[in-house]
Amino acid sequence: MMLYRHEISGSFYSWRGSAWIIAASLIFSLVAYLLLTDKELSLLDQGEMLFTLAEVIIALGIAMSAVSASSAISSEIESGTLESLLLTPITHSQIAIQKMFSIVTTWAILYLVSIPYLIVVASGTNLALSAVLYVGLYGTLLVIAISMISIVISWRLKSSKNSIMMTLMIVLILLAPSLFFGTSLKKTDFGLALENINPVSQAMNSMDNILVDNEQTYLQQISHILPVIAFTFICTLIFVVFTRKFEVKSAE
Amino acid sequence: MIEIVAEKGRKILPTKPTFHVHDLIMADQKMNNNNSISCMGITKTYRNFKAVDSLTMDVNQGDIFGFLGPNGAGKTTTIRMLCGLLSPSAGHAMVAGLDIIKDSTTIRKIIGLLPESSGFYNWMNAEEYLLHFAALYKIEGSTAMRRTRELLESVGLADRSSAPIGYYSRGMKQRLGLARSLINEPRIIFLDEPTLGLDPKGQQDIQKILLELNHEKGVTIFLSSHALGDVYSLCNRMAIVNHGELVAQGSIEELRKLVGGSNGIVVSILNSEGLEKKLSNLNYKFEINAGKNNKIIDISIFEGISESINEILDSIKKIDLHIYEVRRSEMSLEDVFFQLTGTKEYSQENTIGNNHKLEVEQSSEYN
Repeated sequence: MMLYRHEISGSFYSWRGSAWIIAASLIFSLVAYLLLTDKELSLLDQGEMLFTLAEVIIALGIAMSAVSASSAISSEIESGTLESLLLTPITHSQIAIQKMFSIVTTWAILYLVSIPYLIVVASGTNLALSAVLYVGLYGTLLVIAISMISIVISWRLKSSKNSIMMTLMIVLILLAPSLFFGTSLKKTDFGLALENINPVSQAMNSMDNILVDNEQTYLQQISHILPVIAFTFICTLIFVVFTRKFEVKSAE
Repeated sequence: MIEIVAEKGRKILPTKPTFHVHDLIMADQKMNNNNSISCMGITKTYRNFKAVDSLTMDVNQGDIFGFLGPNGAGKTTTIRMLCGLLSPSAGHAMVAGLDIIKDSTTIRKIIGLLPESSGFYNWMNAEEYLLHFAALYKIEGSTAMRRTRELLESVGLADRSSAPIGYYSRGMKQRLGLARSLINEPRIIFLDEPTLGLDPKGQQDIQKILLELNHEKGVTIFLSSHALGDVYSLCNRMAIVNHGELVAQGSIEELRKLVGGSNGIVVSILNSEGLEKKLSNLNYKFEINAGKNNKIIDISIFEGISESINEILDSIKKIDLHIYEVRRSEMSLEDVFFQLTGTKEYSQENTIGNNHKLEVEQSSEYN
């Protein structure tokens, strides 16, 4: 796990490396503060407030993992460090896996930072535990899936700029039904089809059911959890197949 | 995945990567093979472009082997194939008796590579950087620390080891790259332009380190360089490639013979009246070179020097000429390189090792 430790120490090296934690805390503070104090937002049902915060946490986690995973390999290629890494007895798959774990660790820290905010916004309800559990479950599954697919893109495109652009497009497509689709568009056949196959939409719908509609049994959520698990499984397969072998050509 | 398995088939070390005892024994036997590097027709093709074309060559254990060729000749691609970074499109090669495809993980444990342009983690310092790589090679902590300090000392970075690598000059990074390539105590080192960007002291230091490694630890060195002076002074054998193909391989003497060049002596004599007439009485074939203000004339003698030089000098004295200076004249590696890389047509059979006759067609640009 040496490479994992190296990646983690690189992510938290000096105050600049850890600045994202402060930025994330500020975003959570701002969202929680607005939800609780803003005249219009404070009129929302507390479950809806919690759902909004959960959406922000997961969306931030997905965006962060997508950006850092999409440059995980390409930045090593661009800086010329991948070659020396590939010369050690560590395998291609191990490099990819350890990079993926370091990104999931970053998500884990973001998640830990978000827990107090979830508890504060849920105060006075019995939703705190569910919010913490489901944000953890869906966030982790989606971050793992997005990290793996982004690492594959980074591995294949070999350019940070191109792989970040490509990954952000995928993230936008995944987040679009939840963040950008209006109610009327969601009710069309296209909107419904997109929601049904979209793991992020399924995760958000599940949390909507739990936090807003108060359907808290696991059985009721199984139809939402399965597509997320299936998406993670497909991403894992792609990850395993495409990170087995990598060549560093002379020009790279 | 290979696993260490006890006699009754019970796994005794489930950690990855693991090895069958049989595989380890086989690997050890293979590594005892005398040929350190052996390429058999390796080819690398990118779409329609052949970067390396049917390259066949051998590097013996303990050699300092020079690998020469013009830009784009396929040197770096060959090194990357031998190090397991690229798979050959055809042919096969062995490094320390191990197959570069099947045994690439084992090969990576016993080789070191200093690439032409290495990347570094600029936020780390030199010590952290070497310890990081030592850990990737699974070198135990105290050994890693000792080796790191020794290497930093030998490459001359001990006093700057705590500064971030981002502040290092190109030459310092090159020294650090060399230290990294030696962290696993490799049996074979591949060096791609190791002295590029180094000051004369740095070049001398690297030469010294390489000679020490070769003489004291028997490390085989595969050196690709455009610095022909380095290659000449370090290498006992060399290969020249051009357009992805092997042009020739052998010792410098063998390469000189291959291009028809030979060693001779240059005798500087004091100019005097009737010089040419006196020289016509000399029983050796000679050439008169440009002299120094015509007071001293250089005479190059290439044939007959297998005889004692004293006999040649006596002959010159007998014809009443005054010798000012005597020195050896050798065809330079540069001349050999230009002649061989100017070859239009080449047959693999022309390598020195096979004692075949070379028919060199020189291109007009070098004539």
